Amino acid sequence: MTDLGLRFVRRPGPGGRAANLAAFGATAVVALLVTFLIAGSLGLSQRSERIGWRSGDKADPATAIGTMKLDDDQRVDGHRLTVLELATLKPNELAPPPGLDHTPKAGEVFVSPEVAKRWSSLSKEYGVDKPTGVISDKGLSSPEEFIVIRGVETIPADEHPQYVSSWHEKVWDSRMLGLLIAVAFGITLVLFPILSLVGQAAGVAAKRREHRLAALRLAGATRTQVLWLSAVEQAVLGLAGAVVGLVGYTVLSPLIARIPLGGGRWYVGDITVQWWTVLVVLAAVPVLSVISALIGLGRVSITPLGVVRGQTRKGLSVLRLGLLIIGPVILAYYGMQAAVLPLLIGVGFAALAVRVIGPWAVQLVGKAMAKAANGPVMLLAGRRLVDDPKGAFRPVAALVLSGFVTGFISVFMPPGKDDPSFNDMRIGVALLLSLVFLTVAASTAAGAVGTALDQAAPARALRRSGVPLSVIERAARLAAVVPVVGVGLPVVGFGALCGLALSGGKVMTDGSSGVLLLLGQVVAGLVLVTLAGTAGAPVLRKASAN
Amino acid sequence: MNFQSPQPQVVLSGHGLVKYYGSVVGLAGVDVAVRSGEALAVMGPSGNGKTTLLHVLAGILTPDQGEVWLGGERVDQLNDAARTVLRRRRLGFVFQDNQLLAELPADENVALPLMVDGLSRPEAIGRARTTLAQVGLAAEVGRRPGELSGGQAQRVAIARALVGEPQVVFADEPTGALDAATGSQVIDLLVGAATYRGAAVVVVTHDNAVAARCHRALHIVDGRVSDGTGFAPTAGPLGPGVRP
Repeated sequence: MTDLGLRFVRRPGPGGRAANLAAFGATAVVALLVTFLIAGSLGLSQRSERIGWRSGDKADPATAIGTMKLDDDQRVDGHRLTVLELATLKPNELAPPPGLDHTPKAGEVFVSPEVAKRWSSLSKEYGVDKPTGVISDKGLSSPEEFIVIRGVETIPADEHPQYVSSWHEKVWDSRMLGLLIAVAFGITLVLFPILSLVGQAAGVAAKRREHRLAALRLAGATRTQVLWLSAVEQAVLGLAGAVVGLVGYTVLSPLIARIPLGGGRWYVGDITVQWWTVLVVLAAVPVLSVISALIGLGRVSITPLGVVRGQTRKGLSVLRLGLLIIGPVILAYYGMQAAVLPLLIGVGFAALAVRVIGPWAVQLVGKAMAKAANGPVMLLAGRRLVDDPKGAFRPVAALVLSGFVTGFISVFMPPGKDDPSFNDMRIGVALLLSLVFLTVAASTAAGAVGTALDQAAPARALRRSGVPLSVIERAARLAAVVPVVGVGLPVVGFGALCGLALSGGKVMTDGSSGVLLLLGQVVAGLVLVTLAGTAGAPVLRKASAN
Repeated sequence: MNFQSPQPQVVLSGHGLVKYYGSVVGLAGVDVAVRSGEALAVMGPSGNGKTTLLHVLAGILTPDQGEVWLGGERVDQLNDAARTVLRRRRLGFVFQDNQLLAELPADENVALPLMVDGLSRPEAIGRARTTLAQVGLAAEVGRRPGELSGGQAQRVAIARALVGEPQVVFADEPTGALDAATGSQVIDLLVGAATYRGAAVVVVTHDNAVAARCHRALHIVDGRVSDGTGFAPTAGPLGPGVRP
């Protein structure tokens, strides 16, 4: 069976090449995203390790070896300048702060390379013609950080100095910690889109094999043999996708390093994948895609005739709606002051609700369309949505969930354009939505290819009977766009509702940034689905040709 | 070659039809004519050009040489869009595995070509249900293909082929996926219902039992009419031109 599975990968049969390519491409995107999320989180931690000591304040003033005071109100050439004053209280043999060749004595000034370039405008203020030294990469958050570390005799107690027992205290930098928490929320929000994409990728390839495997079942293959065959095929595709995703991330990492999140661009080394990240991605992505494929093949393995004869699927229960209230209730109960974990659970539940209720809503919209249709396009699209709402929702699940993300975030856009946290938030939101949109594009394109292959045989019959290809294509496009508009827009509202539940009904957003975010989301989403959906058009055209 | 326009009673004809697939010959000069109300079986071994002939006659494929005429109109010179309209309005099709849309109930499957042609939904559904009743499926109009037996699904396909009042109905192995008894019922229904309406029927089949229910049979071997005539009458149970 293993040999047969490998053979199926090499020779996928009619339509199989397009399906395998779509599955492979989508898996590669998943691997790239997962690598990015892991490597990005580790990058935050590495950055914090280099600069965390600046926030150290753990020592008893009586025994402390030094004091510090951080100030970031100054500016140089329009850039925000961080000034760290540092006073040694007791003579010591401790290692100097990271990135410095010795602990600054009173009057000595160490600067970052960016400040060194502009020292002429600062020399008078600091009373030194030339900085004592330039801080190395080991002590900087970013290659473009603007920081001055200045030795002083003493820092008066009324200026509330930080007391430290070494220049290497293990403290999380508050900005990096804030970002890491934001990343945790981000991961929770993109988790379902990514899982949807894995399912989509596996599903496309699985669809192609459904009939082949069902035929094998009918020919006497056991359930285990059929599942194993599918697992082998999917594992090979998943592994190939994971490798390409990892390579893709490595190639892109110099570009990713330019994202100015958390106070400037990154050292490539901070976000370079480590060996164990490679192992995690190489193991997790194929395993996830195999699991998704096997779940998708449940119908075949249990009842092969079900697929061969194209039996009617069961309707979806209205009980799914109950899930809608859990997330907002958790968020409202805990509110803004709660610990991170319960809030993550609340957001996770809300996103899960969207994922579970989506197909039901698609079915509802499809029924209304089929009932109201007076032309063939709307009738076909509506019936298609009713027939397989899960299949129709899967490709756009990521986009609909991104609507939830946007709705949620739009309540929390912080005020003050000059505030570093505003910049982090702005870049973070842009990054998050880019990730989601990338997921959506891959998911929608893979879904469009899968649907086109699914519809090939009846579409061919329709074309032979004189139904123009344009009618079939318009119906396919409508069936792809309707779930986005019909379900996506209410979900944006649900996201905002969850945001308001968390904030206690208060809109934190200042100005029009929230509205712009929402509008951008809607426009970008529709354009994306339309573009990605076109991936199915040539496949449908070719597969349904005479 | 210069061909005369077909006789008035001949609804569909092909003259000197040649079709290549790359260097492979699909049709090597076939002449064929079918009259209104007549059922013609196209027989022969697999891969010898039966389906190619059907596709060429139906305007699905265009011949590399030769002419196809439908009721005084030359089909092979029409562009793709015009042939699409012609297939929809003047021809009907029944395929081996019915090729119904799984997501549509029977009445909507039958009504779809009419709706594509601009008929309002109520009117199209009304005509579809009438036709379904004529093929014995009045009680199944709301069922989807997955909920029908193979024979019932093929009856829906026949209703879909007939609902537009076509001049010719083409059937490609219409009983290939059915057991012998159901196959007999289906072919009787197809030939009977189509010819009753005055439509010609062209059936591609390798099944002698199916051919025996047609008025004539044409044998295609290596892309040619094997007996050289193309018009050897083999009277079926209904007899040539006899309507039920």
